[in-house]
Amino acid sequence: MKGAELVLKVLQQQGVDTIFGYPGGAIMPIYDAIYHSTVKHYLCRHEQGGAFSAIGYARASGKVGVCLATSGPGATNLITSLADALLDSVPLVAITGQVSQAVMGTDAFQEVDVLGLSLGVTKHSFMVRDVNELAHTLQEAFRLAESGRPGPVLVDIPKDIQLAEVSEPEWPTLPTARLATSLANAAKARQLIAQAKKPIAYIGGGVQMADALPQLQAFLAESEMPSVTTLKGMGSVARANPHYLGMLGMHGTQAANLAVQQADLLICLGARFDDRVTGKLDKFAPHAKVIHVDIDPAEINKVRFADCALLGDMKQILPAISTATQCADWLAHCQQLKQQYGWRYDHPGERIFAPLMLKQLSERMPDNSVVCCDVGQHQMWVAQHMRFNSPRNHLSSGGLGTMGFGLPAAIGAKLARPQDTVIAVSGDGSFMMNVQELGTIKRFRLPVKIVIIDNQRLGMVKQWQQLFFNERYSETDLSDNPDFVALAAAFAIPGHTITRKDEVASALEAMFSWPGPYLLHVRIDEKDNVWPLVPPGAANEDMLTETN
Amino acid sequence: MQHTLNITTRNEASVVERLLQVTRYRGYQLAGLAMTPLTDRAGLQITLTVQSEKPITLLTSQLVKLYDVQQLELASADVAVLRA
Repeated sequence: MKGAELVLKVLQQQGVDTIFGYPGGAIMPIYDAIYHSTVKHYLCRHEQGGAFSAIGYARASGKVGVCLATSGPGATNLITSLADALLDSVPLVAITGQVSQAVMGTDAFQEVDVLGLSLGVTKHSFMVRDVNELAHTLQEAFRLAESGRPGPVLVDIPKDIQLAEVSEPEWPTLPTARLATSLANAAKARQLIAQAKKPIAYIGGGVQMADALPQLQAFLAESEMPSVTTLKGMGSVARANPHYLGMLGMHGTQAANLAVQQADLLICLGARFDDRVTGKLDKFAPHAKVIHVDIDPAEINKVRFADCALLGDMKQILPAISTATQCADWLAHCQQLKQQYGWRYDHPGERIFAPLMLKQLSERMPDNSVVCCDVGQHQMWVAQHMRFNSPRNHLSSGGLGTMGFGLPAAIGAKLARPQDTVIAVSGDGSFMMNVQELGTIKRFRLPVKIVIIDNQRLGMVKQWQQLFFNERYSETDLSDNPDFVALAAAFAIPGHTITRKDEVASALEAMFSWPGPYLLHVRIDEKDNVWPLVPPGAANEDMLTETN
Repeated sequence: MQHTLNITTRNEASVVERLLQVTRYRGYQLAGLAMTPLTDRAGLQITLTVQSEKPITLLTSQLVKLYDVQQLELASADVAVLRA
């Protein structure tokens, strides 16, 4: 067989049945092999869209996402998506075609040094120079992508390797990477928890990625304490848990931020003290000792000193550090904060108030729906006002904050979980960044629901211009947006525009009762901002709210 | 402060670039670099000297994560084997 056919064989051997990509000259042999393969390829309309679909597929399913691109511009179009996967620890294998080895290094047509470009945006990248190493390299790429802290791995395959004859190798089972877990500090952690008067759990995406949600619920039940989550950790804490305070950080809830600032023990579970979480670092949780549990040793003491660190498998560590707490007063205090600073949805006038609309969407959507966001104000409103029962149901570009993520991620999520409702919530700015993927939705008749929250502005940038740049609204006016419903209609997707609060309920009903893809265009007031907000350089207790 | 790292890696074409990319990105200044193939040519012995006021562990913890790095030792007064 040819190397290209072997690529497909390895994908099948790895259990891959869904891939995303876009063909081109240097990857044509692989696309020729796809023609007869049982692996289903989804043609996207841009390589970035294909890679985001693979990320959405991976995040919604827990499997490795796979995307393909040709050399040169195809490969460079993957870079943003690879960076997104790296910063959000998403298992992704990207396969790129490369020009033949005979012309590599000659500035050949569509030649670019993708291996060099990938260094800063992948967990690792391979260049295959010998067809006899092709199968092993691809296997290793999969193993690496999902082992330890997951991440993106790129495999660059020159065209002559794809065309070279190779015999089908035996399929040695690669040793599963053993996760070294050290419980040496478990007793110290239990002691810190037992002694704490004001403990709080700070939960990141790592808990779900370790498949440790049941262990987390058990830990929070035995070590009864308040909890907060990061953007990627949302959905980790069971809805029934009364002590969950919401998301912390720049646009977190006041209760979450104030509780963390007052805590005497912070138990960081699969999170990394991101600057959007901590605000001014030396004022973050200033009274708290820190227990840090993570799979990646490089995260320990990277940003915040850990008084006690535990490395390895969260599933083993959480039961080992569970212990009873004595903090009834603290629980009552946090409950009081939660009630005092609960969300308010009273909003004057007839115009649609996005937080209320998203709350209605959250209440109306079927259980286990997947919501894919873009980046900006709407993303923060989703995080604040929608509820999720798993982080796999809330796909949001966290670390990289990539506009254009939502629509293609929703395509991947829908293909990963066809039985579940998938909703792409986007802003008018973000939506246009990968709008070409409407073509993918049309081609494969994917019943993805699209909600565009349109304030005719780059809302988050405009909000910062208003607050921190003396209202100099430089290049944030999008009032010449296209007619989004007409745009959707060009892709045979029905849609509807709403502008008033009293239209929301029936519009949601119409969207969910329509069997196919649907676009709901929601016009909101450009003056609406995201509150609260921790200004840049401020401590998390110094939140700006609408009233101050 | 200057630190010298003795690093054993796979003999891959991109390995030096990877080490230097991480070193630069994490904010450490390159002060010296030497590279010798191991006798079986399957690996490389790399000596990397860097300068920074940051704790060296913030760099070594990132370097040992690299797929091609097999061993990394800090060649300072108190030598520590960070990964065997």
